[in-house]
Amino acid sequence: MKSILTLLFIAGTTAHALAGAAMSPRQSSAIPVGNESLVRVNATAQAFDFFRPWAKKPPAMRRGLGPVVEDGFILVTAELVANHTYIELEKSGTAEKSPATVVAVDYDCNLALLQPTDPEFLASSRPLALDTGARVGDRAVILQLESNDDIAETPAAISTITVAPYPLERLALLTYRLSAPLANREGSFTMPVVRSGRLLGLLMRYDARTQTASLIPSPVIRHFLDDAKDPSQGGFPRAGVAFSSTRDPQFRNFIKLEENGGVYVNHVSPKSPADRAGLQKSDIILGVNDQPIDQDGNLDDPEFGKIPFSHLISTRSHPGDTLTFKIQRDGAVKTLPLTLGSDADDSTPTVSEAYLFDAQPRYNILGGLVFQELSRPYLQEWGTRWQTDAPQRLVYLDAYQEELPPETGKVVFLSQVLPSPDTLGFANLAHLVVKKINGIEIKSLEDVSRAAASPENGFHKITFEEDPGFILLDAKAAETGRDRLMQEYGIPAPDNLTPTK
Amino acid sequence: MLRFFAFLLCGLLGPTVLSAAVPTPSPKVADAMVRIQATSQSPNYRIPWNSGDVSGGVGAGFMIGKNRIMTNAHVVSNARFLAVSKEGDPQPYPARVLFIAHDCDLALLTVDDPKFFKDTVDLPFGGVPEIESSVSVYGYPIGGDRLSVTRGIVSRIDFQPYSHSGVDSHLTIQIDAAINPGNSGGPVLQDGRVVGVAFQGYSGNVAQNVGYMIPTPVVNRFLKDVEDGSYDKYVDLTISYHPLHNPGMRKALGLPDDDIGVFVGSVHNGGVSEGILQTGDVLLSIDGLPIASDGSVKIDEGNVEMAEVVERKFLGDSVALEILRDGKPSKVTIPLDHTWPFTLQANAYDEAPRYVVFGGLVFQPVDANFMSEHRPEDLRLRHVFDQFVAQGFYTDRSEIVTLSGVLADPVNAYAAPFRYQVVDTINGEKITRIDDVAAAFAKPSDYYAIQMLGLGRPLVLERKAVESARERIQQRYRLTSEENLKK
Repeated sequence: MKSILTLLFIAGTTAHALAGAAMSPRQSSAIPVGNESLVRVNATAQAFDFFRPWAKKPPAMRRGLGPVVEDGFILVTAELVANHTYIELEKSGTAEKSPATVVAVDYDCNLALLQPTDPEFLASSRPLALDTGARVGDRAVILQLESNDDIAETPAAISTITVAPYPLERLALLTYRLSAPLANREGSFTMPVVRSGRLLGLLMRYDARTQTASLIPSPVIRHFLDDAKDPSQGGFPRAGVAFSSTRDPQFRNFIKLEENGGVYVNHVSPKSPADRAGLQKSDIILGVNDQPIDQDGNLDDPEFGKIPFSHLISTRSHPGDTLTFKIQRDGAVKTLPLTLGSDADDSTPTVSEAYLFDAQPRYNILGGLVFQELSRPYLQEWGTRWQTDAPQRLVYLDAYQEELPPETGKVVFLSQVLPSPDTLGFANLAHLVVKKINGIEIKSLEDVSRAAASPENGFHKITFEEDPGFILLDAKAAETGRDRLMQEYGIPAPDNLTPTK
Repeated sequence: MLRFFAFLLCGLLGPTVLSAAVPTPSPKVADAMVRIQATSQSPNYRIPWNSGDVSGGVGAGFMIGKNRIMTNAHVVSNARFLAVSKEGDPQPYPARVLFIAHDCDLALLTVDDPKFFKDTVDLPFGGVPEIESSVSVYGYPIGGDRLSVTRGIVSRIDFQPYSHSGVDSHLTIQIDAAINPGNSGGPVLQDGRVVGVAFQGYSGNVAQNVGYMIPTPVVNRFLKDVEDGSYDKYVDLTISYHPLHNPGMRKALGLPDDDIGVFVGSVHNGGVSEGILQTGDVLLSIDGLPIASDGSVKIDEGNVEMAEVVERKFLGDSVALEILRDGKPSKVTIPLDHTWPFTLQANAYDEAPRYVVFGGLVFQPVDANFMSEHRPEDLRLRHVFDQFVAQGFYTDRSEIVTLSGVLADPVNAYAAPFRYQVVDTINGEKITRIDDVAAAFAKPSDYYAIQMLGLGRPLVLERKAVESARERIQQRYRLTSEENLKK
């Protein structure tokens, strides 16, 4: 499934991810949304290089078409402004320009809000209202920038409404799928989808083979705009529960499930809202908020029809809201109140971050040994086939981090060795997970600095999980050789320990 | 990358036509040469109850005395029928394998009909040839049916992986004579003596004029090993060791600046060195030979990897090491044994695939043969196989068992997503080998809950559903037997 989708949201790729039948643009008079509600956005982005965490990659420009929304902001996809260095707004129709700043960004829902630095820039604009209702079969129009700055319209119809993983895969949120023949155009990083002069959503990705577009729909946008107004809202909540379907009749008999619906709890993340509520592995979730859940985990939504019950949690709720779970445990039915929290409340730190934008990757250099913390963007530096091409031990730790003990912390690994007289013989060591340095357990890059302060008998002992077990480094030579090493390799600082969030 | 010659022998099985008018090359060597036509049957790891595809190939062999013919293991692996013919004799004779050593790619054959050995000569073995000295390669490579001879020089003497097993490395001699499919098992001669057995090379689009032969130290070891009537395989220290070039690290370990010593990385649990060596030990000498900091020792044949000293030993032998631990030197003796669990990652031959079928679910142990035929993409399965030794998974289970296939039937309608997951427990019993799967299903129970590694739900089969589906599945899928637990 994943492999056939053209992911628009891959930092560093160009906007030319779209391909399909070319549409002949209509006259601008036919555009259902006026120029006063749309702004061209040109964003220059420069991502960090996770292989050389002290350096940036070449800058690249992306373009999109942002709708003006309430309070004089411009709504764009987060991918358009990820790792931005400069954002420029351009009025549709006139050449008037203004630089802009990002006032809010949420990579989980792939949305960002921009504000022009020129307060007069949007004076004559007309904000687009949200069209929050939608049903399968409804028609809409996708707006896209042409290379000559005209706006192309593509008619589309909603084919599915469901909850699906968003491009960064950390959250599954409400999604509309549209069938539409879209052409590959330059300004493809934000495309509004409108209906009768109102905003239905922003395009998230497009699969040229099936001509299916996925939409960040207006209910998700509404949630994001509310969060942006009140940062204490804390984003899109998660319950922290993994479940499986109970369609298999033999499995239903085994777990003594007599009711027609219900899903089986495979796993409850430690310290998550579900864990705090007392939900356990092998519980059967029968319903949420008095709505029964079917064997696949769907409930009947008054607005969207049959939809995965996580919609109630992620899109419909905010941190602090309480949901009532009806569960079956040991043959008895009971209810559990589950109070949602924000990511910040989740006291289990993430082992490997799913994404890192707008910040320099953390690293720590000790005598020519470069240490980094495992993250998915590091692995993604291996390219589109990173899951098979990147070091498999690290891919495994990232993929199955839920199974690691809760006290794991970060996975610190030796990412590379900068060859120098002090690291002679170590040049081939790479991608080794660090267990200890000088007897101190390593669970973050800060631990590396702390451990480096106390060498044993003048040597640093770096202990790895893998072969060769450990190496020893002359502490004094590492200290005295450091400036020369940094100069020779053009490294501006021996570490970057700025917290990522 | 490395390509077996035996795999490339297709299309060369036509009848050999001999003409008296054509002069035969080097009559004495020609009288020792044997052309081997092998009919083999490789088991099918995707349909393990089937007997496998039959294929044929041609390789070379040579007489070494006592009615024995030496060739490569890969020429006669999985053989169902072997026919050998002599140069100048149109009659093919049936042959059989006396000994086969997959870890060093050598085999000995014999022919029961004494007529076969009439008027033949036995080739004597020589030593290790000098670099740059010239050698001649005899065999039956592509391009014709009759004996072919090519000449070249010795390019390099080095430790190299043997691709037949995929995990073993031994002393190898590289030569620049043309070696092609069909040369496998043929002798390489210098001054009338065999100095090697041609066995592998690179394909032409990777490198040119690179051929490898098994040198006489490896051949002699094999011949000595089988003297007692059985092949006992190679023995190993079951450790990893690393060069010690870093000046700081040498100083920290208390070593002088003399380029002696290697560093012990992993000492594998359950191996012969466990409890004797530990991570961080420095190996200074092996059987009295000083070990250079790159891991080489000086022997008669020149500088070779220190492992070569262990290589030449046999089951039951021991090796003496001088080590440095915490700055203090000491002497240890290590009795040598087989290299399990590394064999799980070696290509296996002359073995039947093991499996258990229950309710249409096919369970198989995961080894190199399984992986190369199934090529599963499942990250966890690849990880536990690749890291079986490195992460010490073998201390927990002696085998990885996976759900390798689902013979689709109403009884297993929801099992497909579990394919290629690793079986952790069945009804709470830990699965450490394929036999445990058979034992778990043999125990009477209303339900069989199969829990895979990871956080997923158990896969559940109802006993009565399995029983009612049993005959149907057997007939529909031509399942000749529901299990095979014997190699």
